[in-house]
Amino acid sequence: MNVQPDVSFINYLKGAGGDTLKKCYQCATCSVRCPLSSDEKPFPRKEMIWAGWGVKENLLADPDVFLCHNCGDCSTYCPRGAKPAETLGAIRAYAYTHYGWPAGLAKLATSAKNLPMLIGIPALLTFVFWLLSGAMGFPTKEEFATYGYTHFFGHWEFKWYAKNIFFIVLLTLPPLALALFSLYKGLTNLWKAMAAEANIASTYRPSVIQFTTQFLWPATVEIFKHNRFKECTTNTDRVRGHLPLMLAFVGLFIVTSWSLVKQDILGLIWPSLHGPLPLTDPFKILANISAIALIFGTWVLWSSRSKSESEGKTSRTFYDWFLLWMIMAVGVTGLGAQVLRWINLVEVGYITYFAHLVTVVMLFLYLPYTKLAHIAYRTTAMAFERFRESSFAKPAIEQPLKM
Amino acid sequence: MTDGQGTSGAILVVGGGISGLTAALEAAEVGKDVFLIDQNPYLGGRVAQLNHYFPKMCPPSCGLEINFKRIKNNRRIRTYTMATVASVSGSPGNYEVVVDVAPRYVNSNCTACGECTAACPDEVENSFNFGMNTRKAAYLPHEMAFPRRYVIEKDALSAEGAEAVKNACKYDAVDLNMQPQQVTLSVGAIVWATGWTPYDPEKIENLRFGQSPAIVTNMMIERMAAPSGPTGGKIVVPGSNKEPQSVAFVQCAGSRDENHLEYCSYICCTATIKQMGYVRERYPDAHMYVFYIDMRTPGKYEQLRDVYLTDEKATFIKGKVADIELADEGVTVIAENALTGEKIHQTVDLVVLATGMQPSLYEGGAPAGLSLDDNGFVLSAYDQGIIGAGCAKKAADVVTSAQSSTAAALKAIQISGR
Repeated sequence: MNVQPDVSFINYLKGAGGDTLKKCYQCATCSVRCPLSSDEKPFPRKEMIWAGWGVKENLLADPDVFLCHNCGDCSTYCPRGAKPAETLGAIRAYAYTHYGWPAGLAKLATSAKNLPMLIGIPALLTFVFWLLSGAMGFPTKEEFATYGYTHFFGHWEFKWYAKNIFFIVLLTLPPLALALFSLYKGLTNLWKAMAAEANIASTYRPSVIQFTTQFLWPATVEIFKHNRFKECTTNTDRVRGHLPLMLAFVGLFIVTSWSLVKQDILGLIWPSLHGPLPLTDPFKILANISAIALIFGTWVLWSSRSKSESEGKTSRTFYDWFLLWMIMAVGVTGLGAQVLRWINLVEVGYITYFAHLVTVVMLFLYLPYTKLAHIAYRTTAMAFERFRESSFAKPAIEQPLKM
Repeated sequence: MTDGQGTSGAILVVGGGISGLTAALEAAEVGKDVFLIDQNPYLGGRVAQLNHYFPKMCPPSCGLEINFKRIKNNRRIRTYTMATVASVSGSPGNYEVVVDVAPRYVNSNCTACGECTAACPDEVENSFNFGMNTRKAAYLPHEMAFPRRYVIEKDALSAEGAEAVKNACKYDAVDLNMQPQQVTLSVGAIVWATGWTPYDPEKIENLRFGQSPAIVTNMMIERMAAPSGPTGGKIVVPGSNKEPQSVAFVQCAGSRDENHLEYCSYICCTATIKQMGYVRERYPDAHMYVFYIDMRTPGKYEQLRDVYLTDEKATFIKGKVADIELADEGVTVIAENALTGEKIHQTVDLVVLATGMQPSLYEGGAPAGLSLDDNGFVLSAYDQGIIGAGCAKKAADVVTSAQSSTAAALKAIQISGR
């Protein structure tokens, strides 16, 4: 085998939390201790030697890199302190950048040095929209009490589409669309690479419905059950954080969707539906529970990461923290803006709401390039894991004849 | 030697295993006065527990007996067994060492007739055989124990036992009122040859030692293979006495692992090769599996390894066993074969953990006047006449230990002669 090590790749991994990877002496303790590694394709030993050799093509086409849930069981038992869990995290970070599009934006989201830009772009965008809306300024206490933030971008009499919604959509939809397109591109490339590496030449491709019902849906169900997280023995605390966080995202997605439907469609018929929701509204209750779950979940993950860093078990990386910071900021500004509305602090409330919009735009815009991308990449790898074993991945000649 | 307790020209050797014996004899045979102390009631150390030792695969009697004879014939060596160093004071070339000598409860009248053992009703776990059998509270530590004198473990003796043992001795050798003693020695140099302890396998919790009788250590295999051992030379699954038809050797059980012993214990790979010989000799059809990170059989030991590389029923798997499951029949070892990239679940009748060497000083910490490294190995201070030898200094085989002990003796002679 002629190996051409990619030194810059190795150095990237070392900088991104895999500083210990060269200590690996291939004893394979990690593959045995890993509760998620299969008998046929154990990991992370093979990933460790690929990383050590700088064979990035193999790693970028390896579903196991994304199937890893960063339990840390491998690192706990590693006799050399090579921390395979950390190295796999670094490989994932590299993959998100590699598959990310556009490349410039993907690169931007990899370094703390770029934080002024990373925050600056969405902040400027929000500011410009606020300026363009002509509503830039603070309302009176009475207006604030009545309308809350629903007149943040102003108000017009055109009843078919609220001005505020118009601007919020204008601000958040393009970043979200860009993110979704980027993810589509990245995941397609990842899938092709994984299929090529596994020598799967599909004679029959699953239809969208088959793909969804046979691979994507079962994978999603498994993700929600957190079964794989629960297999971990070293880092058991994370289910306590990850589960509420994930459910919070689902809850907030429902609330946002409902809000859109209610204000944009139902609001046309019953204009009274515009304006802030009363606290007793079921959707408001869901929203607040979700916000609290979001902050709680993030806090659990935040403190467990801080703890393992102070114990020297994991290293501090921008990749890991950027996501925690972003989600925490979304939660705190969102809940904060609401509380400030209750106590009618106009200026602070508006500024907090502004910050909330900025953090939401950040979350959308950087979704494909930050750790948040695992939502899509891990799900894809888990779907691929099922696809690989299915009859779609087998040569046509071996297909049993269907009578 | 005179009755005076040493001079600045004398040498103290701490530890009477193969290393300590070598250092003591080398120094004494060029005319130095030597004190040789050991905490056990016998000399011979770990080698005495082996069935065979490499390179020549001799039984321990062959190496130890000649050394014991040299000691008997050399009036410059004074030995203390059941003795430990309490304190060291003074300066290089002029040390004063206080030695605690524990009571043996048997005096020099003992003729090793064995009547006390026969009469003794009290039994305890036999630590010489790693608990695989019991021995009496009045006992000879092992078959070729030297000095050849019985010992009484008073704490394990019942009142009736004490009576029985005393009455059984025709020579008035049993003295249950014997008191601990302190001896003060003046010496010029100290050789630390305190040897090693098998790494405690229960600390490697994923290897489940103690949870199934089918999981044993390499040193337990030595005792089983020894004709004088608990099974009379048979290698069986302890407890059930089942003759194993399959044996897995788990290399680096605790060694080369920063969670346990961070260094390579040097001897375990060759010891496994040797023990494959024990198994093959007894069970010509048994399957043997060796799970390794690297087969480290340094130097000439490669020739030993080559014998079993061609054994058709021996499989070498590159991959460390990181989990063991208890099966209905035997136990299942789990590893990833790094050469094929597949996980192996191998169920076998017997698992041998190749546990490593931990320096004996690690547990208790450094005695007075001695520096240890982080792993508990002796850091010699040659100019101060504080010299490590054998496995107290680094993990080594018998040959290397003897060489380092000869070197230590030379250094000690130089310092003590000043």
